[in-house]
Formats: sequence, structure tokens, C-alpha cells
Amino acid sequence: MEKVLEVKHLKKYFPVKGLFFTKGWVKAVDDISFEIYKGETFGLVGESGCGKTTTGRTILRLIEPTAGEILFEGKNVMELKGDELKWFRRKAQIMFQDPYSSLNPRQTVFEIIMEPVRFHGIEVDDPEEFVVNLLKSVGLNEMHLYRYPHEFSGGQRQRIALARIMALKPEFIVLDEPTSALDVSVQANILNTLKDLQEKHGFTYLFISHDLGVVKYMSHRMGVMYLGKLVEVGPADKIFENPLHPYTQMLLSAIPVPDPEMAKELKAKRKIVRGEPPSPINPPAGCRFHPRCPFAKDVCRKEEPPMVEVEKDHHVACWLYAKS
Amino acid sequence: MQEEYKKSILDKLADKIVYGLGSFISLFKKGWKEKNKSKMEEWRLMLYALNRSPPALIGLFLVILFILVGIFGPRLAHWRYNFFPMLYTKSYDKIILAPPGSKFVLDYYNNTVITFPLGSDHYGRDLLSLILSGARTSFVISIIVISLGVPLGILLGLIAGYYGGKVDELIMRITDMFLAFPALILAIALSAVLPERIQNFISTHEAVQKFVLWLFALDVREAGNLGRLLAVILAMIIVWWPAYARITRGSTLTEKEKLYIEAARAIGLPARTIMFKHILPNIIGPILVYITLDFGGVILMEAGLSFLGLGATPPIADWGRIVYDGAQYFPKAWWLVFYPGLVVMLVALGWNLLGDGLRDILDPKTRRSIEFKVKKSKKEGEANA
Repeated sequence: MEKVLEVKHLKKYFPVKGLFFTKGWVKAVDDISFEIYKGETFGLVGESGCGKTTTGRTILRLIEPTAGEILFEGKNVMELKGDELKWFRRKAQIMFQDPYSSLNPRQTVFEIIMEPVRFHGIEVDDPEEFVVNLLKSVGLNEMHLYRYPHEFSGGQRQRIALARIMALKPEFIVLDEPTSALDVSVQANILNTLKDLQEKHGFTYLFISHDLGVVKYMSHRMGVMYLGKLVEVGPADKIFENPLHPYTQMLLSAIPVPDPEMAKELKAKRKIVRGEPPSPINPPAGCRFHPRCPFAKDVCRKEEPPMVEVEKDHHVACWLYAKS
Repeated sequence: MQEEYKKSILDKLADKIVYGLGSFISLFKKGWKEKNKSKMEEWRLMLYALNRSPPALIGLFLVILFILVGIFGPRLAHWRYNFFPMLYTKSYDKIILAPPGSKFVLDYYNNTVITFPLGSDHYGRDLLSLILSGARTSFVISIIVISLGVPLGILLGLIAGYYGGKVDELIMRITDMFLAFPALILAIALSAVLPERIQNFISTHEAVQKFVLWLFALDVREAGNLGRLLAVILAMIIVWWPAYARITRGSTLTEKEKLYIEAARAIGLPARTIMFKHILPNIIGPILVYITLDFGGVILMEAGLSFLGLGATPPIADWGRIVYDGAQYFPKAWWLVFYPGLVVMLVALGWNLLGDGLRDILDPKTRRSIEFKVKKSKKEGEANA
């Protein structure tokens, strides 16, 4: 399959500034590598503060990475300039978590959607008709054309944001927790819209979320992040069926189960998540998960585990599966 | 309850203004009215909010009056500022510092009778005419200072706030240097140093000289005094921008963190577009309030500088200068200090009241409550009908 995006050894450290000099570095993203194939949804999950969002933004070059390579359709994103950068900006887009601040309150829906179109010089016969068609494809209508964002609900705004993205006909979209600010019924609505659009236009998604249920529903493949590192990468159904990394196992057992009978059964097997993630300023040596891991061995405290392929396409970074 | 929110005459006037404006723009841009319903509704509610704030209305009235007098004052004045009645009368010793209401016959001027409704100054000129002509001086100075100083400050503030880092440091340290001096002292120093150079420039460029004379409605005879007048303006522009650079930078810093700016960057829009089309319209509200308040400030400072003997020199009519000259004859000729002082106060008060009112109207939190009341009364009215 064709690779749309390839991330190699991506690092992003944020300086912690003292009075006169830098006191330390927050290792938000620390040496992660993965690839995303055409037409698939790659889910990225992890606890708050593990670096999911930073990864998404760095890929789109909204934040400059500290080190590493990002290849978009074979081109190094960090070296793009001029027309090529403009091409990249058109092909790769982002949808944000907070629908309340992702639209300019001073622009009408028409202006919001037409601005990128005009900037990228996309030829449109009748701008009004073009925007109305876009609005219809995301479940809004022509009544909304000349309204301001404050006249809409959160779900509707997220749809406007989606219409703005679609106006550019991108190939790759970073979905940065697009539904976490919305209630459940609206969430389902938006997720289905996203899925439909993917089928219709062949979009490739990077789906960032902390909601495992949503990721299971959306993703073809997924990656689990912990404290700036990818700990497990593989097909979503395989990870949910057979989680390999102890952290993934903990995460999955933390999903609430709606059936009380089943919940009782599961409770016996449940692996409780102990403690909290340590500070990314001074992450633990060796495997970053070892202070919370029930299976921690000596080697875990000393050496970082390598990424190994346990079954087909299913990779994990854990000493339980690797040979030291 | 219901009576309170009934549409007043002012509200109906507001409706007419907004719809009239909408139709007017539609003449040039087809379909503008239909496309901008939300915008027009917003304007209408802003005017409704204004109508519900008596101080703001008083301020607006004073400001409009000032602007009208500023434009037409020199024509309204019965006597030109450089007409000296004492040259045309036998009782020239009495015409100087004549009290309000006194009358004189100008023997050598076709026996015309001159009345002084507000008294006369130490040259025997009519104080009312001087105040009317002086309005132009204050008006033009405040417009020039605000329209040059404020955009400069906003531009630098936007650049500093948006780019951050070293650019920010550089611009803000320069701003700090200007802010470190007390504004008035800096303005005094500058208006003492600058006049000669400006005068040289003016006297070699005739077109500029003509334009400035026309702006201030002055005679060619005053060309030699323009340097001093312009020096004060330049000095005030120099002390005026740093405050705006500061405010704009602060607002820009908060605004640029919002997601729609990041979305604009993801689209690939250049920094220029993001700054002027996305950030500026969203931070202009508080700046607009500041500008309104500062119109009063500029007029006060200009009067203050004139009072210190800088800027306009007689016979140019200038409110601060009249007070400065009249102070020597106080309290005997109290009108020389009282009336120009009163006018300065009223104008500054007008701008301040308007600014305070605008702050309430532009602040979404206070405006929404007014909008809610208006909408409620509308619904009740429909239910009753």
C-alpha cells in the first residue's frame, strides 16, 4: 500500500525557562516513528499530556520539531518552501478539538469557507453554490451561509470546520480529538460524517483521541503513546483483541462496560492503572512505564526496550517480548 | 416591565439608520443587504444598547457638536480670529478685556456695532469667535495625532505580539524607552526642539504650507507660525504610539493562541493576512474604546502644551493659548479663563462618556443582556398583537 505519511524518529522538546537560562526540557515527543497508508485511519491514543496533540501539530509543521523527519508523499515536510509548502498546506489539514475557538468570530460561514479556497487559487464557478454544496455535504444548509459562528452549536461549528477543510480537497487530515468537546449523540453524528466522507473521497486520517471506544470505532490501525513514546503500534482490532504492552492492557481494562454482569466478570481480571504518569521533564530511565508496570524487571529500569514485531504488523516496545 | 422595552423614537431612528445604510451599500454591492443580515442585526442591537445608556448619548451629542463646530467653526465665527476691533474704534482702551455682553461702535469700520457675548480678550477680540475658530485647531490636531500615532502603535504591537521572540524584545524595549519619559515632559522637550526644522521644511514646500493653512483655516500671514504648531503635533504623535503598541501587543498575545489562528496557519495564510484579517478585527474593540477616550486626552494635552506657551502662538485661536494669555488678567477678566476652560472640559467629557458607553456596548457580556431585553420585548409585543 502507498504510504501517505512517514514519521521517522520525531522529537519535540519544549524548553523550561528559568530566570536566566533553560532549566530543562519537556520531552513531549521523544523519538517516535510510524507510517500512515493511503485511505486508512490511524488512531493515536494515550493519556492527557502524553504528546498526542504535539505529534499531530508537528506533522503539519505548526510546531517546529527538535529532530526527526516527516515525509509526506515522499517529500520532507521540513524542507518545503514556497509553492511546495503551499501544496502541502492544501493537501494536509487539521481539525481541532475545541469548536468554540477554531472559527474566527468576525467572519461569516461563507467567508470562513471561501478564504482558504481563494488563497489557494482553487477555481470555483459560483462561490455561493460551491459553499452551499459543501455545507450540505456536512449536514448543514444554505440558511447558514451568512451567519456568524456564535449563532451555531458546538456540533454545527465542528461541521463548519470540516467544510472549511473539505473545501481544499485535502488528502490527509489530522483529527485532533474532534469530538471530545461534544455530547455523545453529536459525537456519533460527526464520526459517521467523517467515515462517510472518507469512503467517498478516500481521505487519510490521523485520529488523535483519548477515548478508546471512539478510536476502536474509527481506526484501521492505531498507536498507543505513553510519555512521548510509542509503546504499541498495530491493526486496531488486533490491539483491542490482544493487547501486548502492559500499558495498553491497563488502558483497555479501564474502558467502562455498560453491562453490569459482564462488568463483574471483567472486574476480576481487571488490571488497575496504578499511579500517574511521571513528569515528562525527567522521564524515568529505561522503559518509561516501569514505575507503574506490574511486570517490571531489572532490565526495564536500565535499558529502553526496542520496538519488536510480535505478530504480523503488530509492534510493541516492551522487554516482555524482546530479547535483551 | 413591558413599557420599559418599548421601541423609543431613538430605537426607530436606529432601525432607520441601519436599514438605510444597508440599502445604501446595496446600491453599490448587489445583494449586500441580504447577505449581511447578521451584521446589520448586530449593528442595530449596538445602537439599541447605545440608546439605553444616557451618559453615552450625552457624550455622543457633545462629540457630534464638537465635530460640527470643528469643521464649520471658522465660518460660524462672526469675526475672523485676526480681526482686531481696537484698530477701528476711538475707545480702544475700553474694548480690551471688555466684560461679556458689552457693545462698542467701530467708528472707522462703517460705524458697525460689535457685541461681545462672552467678553473680549486682551487684544479686544471677540471671545466667542475665538472659541469657535479654536475648535478647528483642536479638532484637526486631535485627528492628526490619533490617525498617525494610533496606527503606528497598533502596527508595531501586532508585529511584536505575533512574531514574539527577538522581534518582540526589540520593539518592546524601544517602546519602554519612550514610556520611561513622562509623556508631557517628552512632548515639551520635543516641541521646544523641533519647530525650526519643520519651519524650514514648510517654507520650502509651498503646497504643504497651503494644505496646512487650509486645514487649520488660517491666513497666509500665519505661515511663519506653522512650525510651532506642527512641532506640537509631531511631539504628541511621538509620545502617543507606545501606549497603543503595548495594548495591541498584549491583546495579540492572547488572541494568537486561539485555534482559529492556528487553523489559518494550517491553511498557509501569510503572517500579514493573519495579523490584519484575523487578529486585528478581534482585538479592535478595546482599542477603539481607548481611541475614543484618547481624543479627549489629546485635546487636553494640546491645551496643556499651549498653556505652557508651546504650540500655537497668537493670533492663532487656540483654547489652551487663550487660557494661558488670560491667566495674567485673572480674576478680573475671569471670562478669558472660564469659557475656553469650560469648552475644553465639555469636549473631553464628551469623548470620555462616549468611550465609557462604547466599552459597555462593545463588551459582549454587557451587550448580550441588553440584546436579551430587546428581544424579549419584541416577543411580548408580537404576543400581544
